[in-house]
Amino acid sequence: MKQPRPTELWAWWLAVAWLALVVLVALCADFLPLSYPAATPDLYAITQPPFAGPHWLGTDPLGRDVLAGLIFGARTACLVSAPAGLAAAVIGTILGSAAGYWGNQRLKLPAGLAFLLVGLLLFWGCFTGPGPWFLSWLVVVGLALVAAARLMRLSERVAPQPLPLDTIVLSLLALLTSVPQLVLALAIAAVWPPSLSTLVAVLTFTYWPVTAQLVRADMRRIRQLPYMEAARAIGLPTWQIMGRHAFPLLWKTIRVTLPLSLATLIGLETTVSFLGVGLPLETASWGRTLATARLDFTAWWLIVFPACAILLTTLALRQLPFYPFGKSS
Amino acid sequence: MRRFLFPRLARTLPAAWGILSVIFLLSRALSSAPEGLTNIQGASIGGHAATPDQIRAAERLLRKRRGLDLPLFYITPAATATKQALAWRWHWHGTHNQYHTWLYSLLHGDLGRSFRDEQSVSMVVLRALASTLPLTCSAFVGIVIVSYWLTLLLARHRWLRPAVLAGLTVLHALPLFVVAFFLLLLLANPDVLALFPAYGLNRPESDTSWGEQLISSAYYLVLPLLSLVLVSLPSLVVQVDSALQHELKANYSLTARAKGLPERLVIRRHALRNALLPAISYVADLLPALVAGAIVVELIFAMPGMGRLLAEAAASRDFPVLLGAISVIVLARLLAQIVADWLQVWANPRIEAQA
Repeated sequence: MKQPRPTELWAWWLAVAWLALVVLVALCADFLPLSYPAATPDLYAITQPPFAGPHWLGTDPLGRDVLAGLIFGARTACLVSAPAGLAAAVIGTILGSAAGYWGNQRLKLPAGLAFLLVGLLLFWGCFTGPGPWFLSWLVVVGLALVAAARLMRLSERVAPQPLPLDTIVLSLLALLTSVPQLVLALAIAAVWPPSLSTLVAVLTFTYWPVTAQLVRADMRRIRQLPYMEAARAIGLPTWQIMGRHAFPLLWKTIRVTLPLSLATLIGLETTVSFLGVGLPLETASWGRTLATARLDFTAWWLIVFPACAILLTTLALRQLPFYPFGKSS
Repeated sequence: MRRFLFPRLARTLPAAWGILSVIFLLSRALSSAPEGLTNIQGASIGGHAATPDQIRAAERLLRKRRGLDLPLFYITPAATATKQALAWRWHWHGTHNQYHTWLYSLLHGDLGRSFRDEQSVSMVVLRALASTLPLTCSAFVGIVIVSYWLTLLLARHRWLRPAVLAGLTVLHALPLFVVAFFLLLLLANPDVLALFPAYGLNRPESDTSWGEQLISSAYYLVLPLLSLVLVSLPSLVVQVDSALQHELKANYSLTARAKGLPERLVIRRHALRNALLPAISYVADLLPALVAGAIVVELIFAMPGMGRLLAEAAASRDFPVLLGAISVIVLARLLAQIVADWLQVWANPRIEAQA
């Protein structure tokens, strides 16, 4: 184990301290003794410069306190980026590792299952389709009887069909990456009415391909390793191979990408709120505070403070994977 | 050529069709109330408030004109009352539906009409493209030139590396709109340095000469260009730089140095050519990314263009314009990917031998 350099240690602990501060502020934003409440315009102090009470970081052109806006913006940033990043990581890991592990040929579905699915679909289709329902009911019962009789023999004769899992996931990825992330997020956020949970869903939807691509490539590499072959050879069940033997190696990749994706998501969230899409108007956000600077470019405090918050958080998140001690480095 | 082009088209065209269809179906299915009706409801011209019947008739007319009275897809579920309860049933509508009409006119190059002002979307998009393309193309050229120059500089003068790389890291951590704001704050602020105009485009005057017009419009483009270049620079420079450092440690670079070549030539003739290979696919992604970046830049600097069109269409739920703009971006991405693939095969023939 190599000895960590003091600058690495310092940088890492600084990053952790800043992130802890952001999370702490976001958690107890409601109980902090603010000198002025959030989201209430002070019409006597419009565009007031900072470092004078009660508005210690100044006010925007609508008379809202910048400090309170930043604190509640930290809550929004945490509430949006953390669930979206985690959900994107989970979806990306599941789909990516499944595509990487089974590929196009290896996941074999028994033919009986396919027949059963088709039968269920037909059953449901006849039931909800146009036409007098009692007639379709009769047809369905007849079909089901025939299918049940056939199922026993067909499933013995027809070989299990491979499910082209890799192709399915890859085409999903191609679908989502054919438009730049910001454009896709903008288009989908425009369709739904703005709310916090919508924005989380939209960001998850646009961001999971990044994790999925990495995990898929990693899984394809891990699958070839000798110990995985040994695990298959002694006949371990698939869930045990995936969970207990492949996942610890995958976790190295995920652990590095998760903070980076959180940083990107905070950037996306602030950009989308800056554009005025996605979040309801009364929700505070660092991007919203910056957007008010468009009304008055000379108000430097409207740009510098939120920009510093975004910059420090992003830098801290990027520093996080460089864990200076322990077995990872 | 045929063996090269067709497989790639077969791979990328379905993805483009798929994402456009998804956005179309989502936007049509979820926007039940057509935009513009709120105006009718609120309007009372000359003291005459519209009666509910009149509002309903106006809504029906508006829906018919926009083609929203047709069913959405080939089969849609519809509620029908049975004896017991309301039940959902699938209905087959044939080709007389919104999706088919949209796809048919899209394939014929007709993007429909804007919900807001009934203008032809193709005209709106073309006009926006005409003012965006100078910005994005010059930003593209600027990024490529500056990163080439910066990478060479970093390779030659190693003492610059820590400072420049740290600066690039900080720059990479900032979203585009923050960088643009900082530029505005520093370079277009009467309190600090009022070098450049804060927003707008040059309005061409007929009596000035062509050269003067070009210079003055370039003067307005400096800040938007600078912010686009600054934001896209870090990732490209860091990537090429690390590849170059890797190549400079390779054996053939050692040989080149050993036979007495000056370091300048070792970098340019030998190492850089190999280091540029992985950058090709990144550069190809740059053009669509620049269009997306133009969304923010055009909004901040109040310029007309593709990005502003997208942002305003998204904010006002003008779905034909939104879809039209996205189709153009998807098309640009498709072309860029094919060109990048071709460039990669041209630069490194080993790829085709493997495939």
